[in-house]
This record gives sequence, structure tokens and C-alpha cells, in this order.
Amino acid sequence: MDFPTIISLTESELDLDSLLAQITLPTTGASAIFTGIVREQTSQGDAHDTVYLDYEAYQPMAETKMRQVADEIRQKWPTIEGIAIVQRVGRLYPGTPTTLIACTCAHRNTGVFEAARYGIDRLKEIVPVWKKEIGPQGEEWVEGQYHPKPGE
Amino acid sequence: MQKVKVLFFATLRDYVGAKYVELEIPIGTTIHDLMDLLASTYPRLEKVKDSMMAAVDREYAADEEVIPEGAEIAFFPPVSGG
Repeated sequence: MDFPTIISLTESELDLDSLLAQITLPTTGASAIFTGIVREQTSQGDAHDTVYLDYEAYQPMAETKMRQVADEIRQKWPTIEGIAIVQRVGRLYPGTPTTLIACTCAHRNTGVFEAARYGIDRLKEIVPVWKKEIGPQGEEWVEGQYHPKPGE
Repeated sequence: MQKVKVLFFATLRDYVGAKYVELEIPIGTTIHDLMDLLASTYPRLEKVKDSMMAAVDREYAADEEVIPEGAEIAFFPPVSGG
């Protein structure tokens, strides 16, 4: 059976219902959906407010790496049926979903939660997307910490 | 000599002031050599040289990798999507 994999780097709004429908099969009985959201008020660490975020991507490499994340999920959790990995780019305001990782499975207890968790963690490590944070005091590029190995 | 296209993203694009540059470099140039060359042209790159990532033809590359002819090179900071 062919399992659906949806990879999308887009300026458009995320349509959760449509994405979920596209990865739901007759055998599907569970899904885990993670979405990241633009946070207006950050209290952890360096407390600050956010007016909006500007996202940019190295598009062709980002799409390749998102596909790689989906492949890694399937290798680790062969029970996963559908996978959707979506990253929005452009200007995004607080309260807006920015990214989505959704996995579907026959049952909830065969790795679907872990697979979605792995997906977002991995996206934040290897998919070449960056955000610039614009706050009341000015703007700043956010930088990650992870340094992928050659070929990773 | 060979032609390469070098793309910059996020902070590095701001430092260079361009989305990409096209360069002629000697055959056998490594990523590390290219970083040095760029830092001599764009001094603001010097302080991020050790932390920036490099990709060759859209795959993460090592500093010692020799740049293949006609390659698309990209330099960028550690990613921060999601």
C-alpha cells in the first residue's frame, strides 16, 4: 500500500482539516498533530514581546530536508501511515500556526506521538528555514544551535 | 578557474548585502578556502565564520570538501525554523 506523504513550504494559511483528510486512510484510527504557533509573550529566559516573525527558507534544500525528515520517521516507526510536514514562510503574526507535523497510524499506541515529536525536533535541526523576530525594541534574526554533520 | 554561485541566507545575507554572488575560483578550492575568500571581501563574515553552515548542491558540507565545478554553494547560520 502507498502511504501518503505531504511536504509543503508555503506562504498560505495552514488548513488542518484538509491536511488531516489527506493523510487519513481507511485503516487509520489515530493521528498526532503538532503545530508551532507564533508566541506573543515570551517569559522563559530572555523575556520579551513579539510583534511578528519574518520567515525565510532556502526553498529547494528545505523541501529536500523535509522529505528526509519524513523518510527518517518511516524508518523509525514503520507503523506510521500518513505524514504531513508543512512550514509556512513570510510574515506571521502572534497566534498564527507556523508549522505542522502530522502523523497517522492504525492505533494510538504504536509510536504516533513519538513520530510527530521526532518530526518537529528534526525539522528544527536540519531544515534550512530562519526567522527574524520583530519586537517593540527592534529586530533580530533567531539562530539555532544544531550543526548538522556533512551529508546529514 | 571555475564558476560557482554562492547563496546567503538570514544574518549572512545582511552581512554580504546580497542574496547571492557569482565567483570565479580556482579548481580544488575547498569550502574553508571559500569562506576565507568571502571574509576578506565581506569583513563582517569574519566573526561568524566558525559558526556558519555550508551546503554544496543543497547538502550539508564539510569545511574540507572540495567544491565541484558548477556547484551551488550556500552559507547560512544554524537553522531556526518551526
